[in-house]
Amino acid sequence: MSAATETPTRARASHQPLPPSRLRFSGVLKSEWIKLTTLRSTVWAYLIVVLLQIGMAALFALTVNMGTTGPGGPGAPGGGAEAAVTGAAAAQTAVLTASLGVMLGQLVVSVLGVLVISGEYGTGQIRSTFTAVPKRLPVLWGKALVFAVSTFVVGLIAVFAAYAVTWGMLDARGVTSDITDPDVWGRLVGAAGYLVLVGLIAYFLGAILRVTAGGIAAAVGLVLVVPIVLGFVNAEWASVLGQWLPSSAGQTLFLGGGVFEPWQAVLVMLGWIAVFVTTAAVLLKRRDA
Amino acid sequence: MIEATSLTKRYGAKTAVDTVSFTVRPGHVTGFLGPNGAGKSTTMRMIMGLDRPTSGRVTVNGRPYAEHRSPLHEAGALLEAKAVHTGRSARNHLRAIAATHGIPNRRVDEVIDLTGLRSVAGKRVGGFSLGMGQRLGIATALLGDPATLILDEPVNGLDPEGVLWVRGFVRQFAAQGRTVLLSSHLMSEMALTADHLIVLGKGRVIADAPVSDIVNSTQTFVRVRSPRIDDVARRLSQPDVDVTQLGDGVIEVRGLTAEVIGDTALSLGVALHELSTVSGSLEDAYMNLTRDEVEYRTVVTPGAPGGPASGGPASTGPVAAENTQEVAR
Repeated sequence: MSAATETPTRARASHQPLPPSRLRFSGVLKSEWIKLTTLRSTVWAYLIVVLLQIGMAALFALTVNMGTTGPGGPGAPGGGAEAAVTGAAAAQTAVLTASLGVMLGQLVVSVLGVLVISGEYGTGQIRSTFTAVPKRLPVLWGKALVFAVSTFVVGLIAVFAAYAVTWGMLDARGVTSDITDPDVWGRLVGAAGYLVLVGLIAYFLGAILRVTAGGIAAAVGLVLVVPIVLGFVNAEWASVLGQWLPSSAGQTLFLGGGVFEPWQAVLVMLGWIAVFVTTAAVLLKRRDA
Repeated sequence: MIEATSLTKRYGAKTAVDTVSFTVRPGHVTGFLGPNGAGKSTTMRMIMGLDRPTSGRVTVNGRPYAEHRSPLHEAGALLEAKAVHTGRSARNHLRAIAATHGIPNRRVDEVIDLTGLRSVAGKRVGGFSLGMGQRLGIATALLGDPATLILDEPVNGLDPEGVLWVRGFVRQFAAQGRTVLLSSHLMSEMALTADHLIVLGKGRVIADAPVSDIVNSTQTFVRVRSPRIDDVARRLSQPDVDVTQLGDGVIEVRGLTAEVIGDTALSLGVALHELSTVSGSLEDAYMNLTRDEVEYRTVVTPGAPGGPASGGPASTGPVAAENTQEVAR
């Protein structure tokens, strides 16, 4: 307060000239990075993703019946030799274990994806944002990029940490996987990628709907509820449609199986995102902020 | 410099801004006045590219705001208190907005000091009072050291010290040859701050003139109170003199000076309990201008006692004036 009254008549508190500055996309990226990292909700959401991933993996590794390990189990002296599971089967078990948390983590990432944009509309922040970036679209892309990269990094940390934590547990039960096996690390990366794609769908839905509750309902509905509903419909079209949903197609990336090759699954996911991106971009330019 | 040409904004069947044209010049503080719903805020949002005009065009320093390479250096705006995410601290909010233009953190600290936010800069905006929110909004508007400043109701919620600061600040800002457009519902504030007024009513420009012109357009009158007011009124009645009976022994006289009225009363042997010259105020001028343009008019029961003493709440002004009766001639 006193500072304000001491300098009531000067637009600039110092006479040092400001360095030339102008609006750049790199600046928008930095701005969005600052916005993402200065909200508690972001930190909490990412922390929960990592903890869920590790916690669920550990729980699964400790309790699941490994079948072949059976009575040999942990502690059986050298008994794992003939019951040992290696190769493709071990990779499948290890990846399934490490990526189990994605089923819950995707909900957290979806909520965060919606909040990244709906939070700005809900608080009025969007008007400050669009005053600084009046062409608007750079904001849509900048937010998407920052959120996608952050989520990918957090997703990688989460699944690889989950793998590391459970490797020993599984190894003790005779399931020995190898991180250098592309079937292992490739699918772990796929799990992190799946989180990003789901998060982006939620983000663009948030940009379209602009309200938090509606955005979360739509995103979670598409990822969780629609597959269940379609599962109840006893018809050929329902099962075909079910395979093309973002969740079932995307989970091919780490769970394997399904009707799509991984690259096809990525294309299906990108197709979904393209629909929402286009809608969001057109509405963003057209609507009043 | 802000130039609006036939600017129009319709929401469905309702026209919020109706073919408005005006120019806001640098070097002056221009006041944007009008009753609630007159279209002030909508116009300001269109200037900043936040609302899309239905038709017409508005430019800031020669171009639509969005087409500038460095928008924050062209114009800064406070359009509503707390256009800020509630979960972020004031400083982080300013850092995020500054980052878009590569504005250094040094400037962020400058605007924090300038607006007196130092002690709360690290606190989350959700806990801010209205006044602190206004200060943060002004700080945000100043980040780019803009050539044009647009402030929607900047003194709303500010303490007296803050009001004084805003007033001094915008005057100094304009004195540097920059452009200031500010809206306020406080006419007295406008009289002290603005050089030029653009008055809006029902989405149209109803006046666009220097403050002094608008004030002078309202006649000065003499207020007279006396226990024998009817005698005085009868004697004063003549062509070119307008006598308005307010009841309770009070009249307002236009066309005669207080000296003439006092002498007349003396010659009648009538005691005067009040004899005062009332200069036209901006409030009166504004009420006269917007009398027919008020969107949400206060309804007064017909037959209610004569208007309240002058200086009553501004919103009842035009209605009170209508309840006074002209003395028949």
